[in-house]
Amino acid sequence: MSGRVIVITSGKGGVGKTTTNANIGTALARAGKKVVMIDTDLGLRNLDLLLGLENRIVYTIVDVVESRCKLKQALVKDKKNPNLCLLAAAQTRDKTAVTEEQLKNICEELQKDFDFILVDCPAGIEQGFQNAVAGASEAIVVTTPEMSAVRDADRIIGLLEAKEEIKSYKLLLNRVRPNLIKSNDMMSVEDVVEILSADLIGIIPEDTGIITSTNKGDPIVNDENSLAGKAYNNVARRIIGEDVPFLNLEEDNGVIAKVKRFFSGLIGKEK
Amino acid sequence: MKDIFQDLFNKVFGFFRQAEKEENAKDTAVNRLRVVLMQDRTNLTPELLEKMRGELIELLSKYVEMDKDALELNFEQEGNQMALMLSIPVLRAKDEDEIEEAENNIDDAESEDDEEIIEEDSTETDAEENSLSEEVAENDEPKEEESNTKPKENKSK
Repeated sequence: MSGRVIVITSGKGGVGKTTTNANIGTALARAGKKVVMIDTDLGLRNLDLLLGLENRIVYTIVDVVESRCKLKQALVKDKKNPNLCLLAAAQTRDKTAVTEEQLKNICEELQKDFDFILVDCPAGIEQGFQNAVAGASEAIVVTTPEMSAVRDADRIIGLLEAKEEIKSYKLLLNRVRPNLIKSNDMMSVEDVVEILSADLIGIIPEDTGIITSTNKGDPIVNDENSLAGKAYNNVARRIIGEDVPFLNLEEDNGVIAKVKRFFSGLIGKEK
Repeated sequence: MKDIFQDLFNKVFGFFRQAEKEENAKDTAVNRLRVVLMQDRTNLTPELLEKMRGELIELLSKYVEMDKDALELNFEQEGNQMALMLSIPVLRAKDEDEIEEAENNIDDAESEDDEEIIEEDSTETDAEENSLSEEVAENDEPKEEESNTKPKENKSK
């Protein structure tokens, strides 16, 4: 087995890299894939919180590279899904504790046992970014329809273009607000895609459910009724290679529309 | 009575004109981003663009008489290609005699400049300026390596 190593990056902080990582990882695992997530944000680890695994971490990636434990010992299994593992970042060390070469070796080792290795990249374009990208051959660039996030994404795309190891990258547009786009107060998906001229892999609507799911340590893809959860699930299916159309985010959520959808769903099933 | 109508007409007309002029937040964002990304990608600072603009005016006014203030120099993006767009409002083309005259003038001016530089070469201010401009040139080089000037390939496919 040779798993795919995908780095999830953005340049700007706070656009939803870690949330994206947790949700795509969980969705891929739910689809039956063996997934490991690596948090490379040394000193500012958060992926464990989003997955609700913060109390289970014994060893971190720094313990692995400093030979205090074997790689397999440091992998924390998810509560719900045995297909999902986390290699946590060290909270007490900084970005220099792990080198590009070491991360590359860890990724190569994990490729033998997992279908997907998702690398959560720290914000910025310094060494932390270089480390995270080192072992990856694919990238997902997370951005939001805001000027500063798009500008930073453009910078990241420029850096990814220059890396020979990165064979492909895709854009994930997060925190999209259809109402603001409709009133011409926010850049549309098309605007961002045109400006960055990159292929899109997902459009995630802004969803207050993300806050509650983060608070619970339970990724939103586990919630069948959430639109953001659905959108993240679709991203995972596209990664696997399925051709999934983008969600219509301008769905009418009025009562009548819901009833209509309910009935059209019934008719659809009967066919 | 006529005045009231006139007033009303102006108000209504003015209202529509205002609404037309006002750019929405989304368009402002897109336009500002386009400009700033062109600068990021090429490393051409506004000062350098202004310098380029000045030199282009100087060169082109040899051949045409133009509205210098209305000259526009912009980067535009079409798909993966970036283009430098120059829009020049031409008032009138010059004839051969004028072009020849302009050439002679420029030659004269250049030789005069040269002389001046030779004369002032030993002064301190000039030496400082030279070293400054050298520094700028040096600083520019490593930046260019980092920048993503090259047109985007279809890696994303």
